[in-house]
Amino acid sequence: MSSPLILLPGDEVPSEYLPSTNSAPLRLGAGLRLLTQPSSNPSKPPSHVIAATQPGILSTDNRKNAASILSTPNRRYIPTPNDLVIAQIHHSSPDYFHCMVTPQAPHALLGQLSFEGATKKTRPMLKQGDLVYARVLSMGLGAGAEVELTCVNPATGRAEPGGLGPLTGGMVFDVSIGMAARLMRASSSSPEQQEAVAGLVVLEELGKKLEKTGGFEIAIGRNGKVWVDCANGGETAVKSTVAIGRCLSTIDEHDLNPTDQRKLVTRILREMKIES
Amino acid sequence: MNKEASLSIAERDFILNALREDVRLDGRQADQFRPLTVSFGEEHGHVKVQLGKTSLVVRISSEVAKPRDDRPFDGVFTIALELTAMGSPAWENGRQGDLETYVINVLDRVVRHSNALDTESLCILKGVSCWNIRADVHITDYDGNLIDASCIGIMAGLQHFRRPDAVVKDGQVIVYGLDERVPVALNITHKPLSVTFHTFDEGKRVILDATRKEEQASEADVVIGLNNAGDVCYLSKFSGSPVDAMVFVNKSSVALEKVKQINGIIDKALQTDLAKRAKSGMAEESRAENDREIH
Amino acid sequence: MVGPTATLTPLSRADGSASYRCPSTGSNILGSVNAPVELPARRDALRPEDATVEVFVKPGTAPGGVGERYIENVIKNMLAKLILGREKGYARRGVVITLATIGGESVGRGDSYLTLLPALIHTALLALLSAAVPLSMTFSATVLAVNASGEITREPSEKEAAAATSLHALAFSSKGHLLLNESQGAFDFDTWEKVHARALAICHGTLTRTSDGDVAMAEDVDGQPLEGTVRETVEDKLHQDYAWKTDAP
Repeated sequence: MSSPLILLPGDEVPSEYLPSTNSAPLRLGAGLRLLTQPSSNPSKPPSHVIAATQPGILSTDNRKNAASILSTPNRRYIPTPNDLVIAQIHHSSPDYFHCMVTPQAPHALLGQLSFEGATKKTRPMLKQGDLVYARVLSMGLGAGAEVELTCVNPATGRAEPGGLGPLTGGMVFDVSIGMAARLMRASSSSPEQQEAVAGLVVLEELGKKLEKTGGFEIAIGRNGKVWVDCANGGETAVKSTVAIGRCLSTIDEHDLNPTDQRKLVTRILREMKIES
Repeated sequence: MNKEASLSIAERDFILNALREDVRLDGRQADQFRPLTVSFGEEHGHVKVQLGKTSLVVRISSEVAKPRDDRPFDGVFTIALELTAMGSPAWENGRQGDLETYVINVLDRVVRHSNALDTESLCILKGVSCWNIRADVHITDYDGNLIDASCIGIMAGLQHFRRPDAVVKDGQVIVYGLDERVPVALNITHKPLSVTFHTFDEGKRVILDATRKEEQASEADVVIGLNNAGDVCYLSKFSGSPVDAMVFVNKSSVALEKVKQINGIIDKALQTDLAKRAKSGMAEESRAENDREIH
Repeated sequence: MVGPTATLTPLSRADGSASYRCPSTGSNILGSVNAPVELPARRDALRPEDATVEVFVKPGTAPGGVGERYIENVIKNMLAKLILGREKGYARRGVVITLATIGGESVGRGDSYLTLLPALIHTALLALLSAAVPLSMTFSATVLAVNASGEITREPSEKEAAAATSLHALAFSSKGHLLLNESQGAFDFDTWEKVHARALAICHGTLTRTSDGDVAMAEDVDGQPLEGTVRETVEDKLHQDYAWKTDAP
């Protein structure tokens, strides 16, 4: 990969960096905006530039004809439609569960019936502090509108991808939202590709080493939350869960490379006295 | 919104269940502090404390003021702590929360009321002028255990601080600049520190130096303030469910061991800093220290 | 001359943070930004489509007072022009900026904050960048002291500032706009023109025209332009954060 283009707010994106493979309109993602400069000569059309609004690395996708900014990984999560998040129920009202997606932000709404196969009689009875794995459906219209979540695909009425819905047991760990995005990419690709797409080998490594003790289940929320459960772990369940949490947060904090990630996994499993 | 987001049921249950197996989220023992570093800035009385992910800066300052009317022989010592949105997004600037009041109260009791700083030595001229020593605690990152971390910072700062020299001549108070006369160390009578414990599982599990999540999941907290000699100067169980009296008895000895250990870390940091200053040509302070010891 | 040094994201709890040290004025500022956060409803009533910017300045060794409240307003008004408060997720939310003097001399009660102002706004900018708050552009700032004989000192020490006849704090956007112009003391227009030119050179470098007519930024006695310091700090941090991506084989 050639050296990345780092932009600061206000910097214009040089046109040669933008995808130009087809005639479809360019899609601007997070951190970029289109500025129109009226030309000095009224007969000429105004000129357009694309400028950054957030600091970060320019990321382009020629296939989708899209460009966006990869910004600082420790920032606060802002709900974006289609993101998978781990939300915590705060309270419920007749129609909705009011959930926390990010602390110190307004609650998001999750319909009481937005679960697979839910009817008035079969809907899950969630209480304060319960966790759900949900998808951001919409951000609402206008300023101050509520974010809406769902646990089903509105088109099919199924929990797609599998696993959407209440999360029971297990433990949640906080990671940066940059790390959450990487984990998401890693977990959606095959074990061999994880290193290439996200620079992460930790999930693959943990998966191999904890296989004997029953393996683990993991759900990654783009809001910087990772849910881990070792339900089949028996006696080592608690220790394995803590070990996974420690591995993830240490890698996040110290930007460990794949070699060090492998070493860390081995060290922590040994420290926690988990046989692998 | 002056409150941390509450824990999920999963987190609360997991922390408790793990403690029942003697496991903490960061792999620590129940009686183990997080890694602690104490470092000093260029100015005297400027301390940075890092306790796990909790971090803070303490700055000690002095100015000449009028003593209180009812205590003409005493100087004034104040501890100022304000929780700002820097330490945690849950804290609101300019608004005092319960946590802030609680922490200030405990710090006041452990450090100020135990007379760790001899305020009589701060008197310059009876009823007319005295030193006003101020400890400002800036919480920069909050991940639990504010009380112990702040205590460490304040005590390290008081030991590191040097105030300007002042003399009384013909009823006039003369304060010498830091470059005119060797500044003077404060008179520390003893070195109290606090150790905070949190209880779980109906008081059956007791841990110290809890992280933010552990604090939130706990039932009650117990704070023990004591010095190297084992003199207990503060003991409290502020809120939460009842704690067995034996916890206080058993944990006092654990606390003593920890206080000695932490005071050792502070001493070492002070010595390293002194050596660094001596090396960089700022040896006056260290010489002054020796002079006083000889007298 | 030793330029200022800065670190991006030194803190873990705040959404964004930065520390900034200016050796010549001796100031050492730590800043944090939390955004977008929910504010009590009373504060969003005026402009429901926009974000509310809040600035809190905390002195190092004294309680805050009118001096802090005044400078908070100056900083807030300047930053509010750059923060894109209508971007996704920001309307009706707060951008809370907290700046603490954690080193160097504190400003005395009622004294002017002018000498600290550039350090404060640089810290605020870097913390905003660290929190990825959308901005229309970046800026750089400096403070200059003019003494009785008309000599201009860049980023004066406490003593130099006390001896100066006038003090000027200026900030320029990355596009060259004058964003902030705070002065104190007696001075005439000519002096201000000189101060302005010097400040521009410190922030953006000197404009030199090469033989082929290109305009190039050159470094002069003032060393690296401050603009570059801000950029490098951010670039270094991003390189570090994305090492997994860019260093990949």
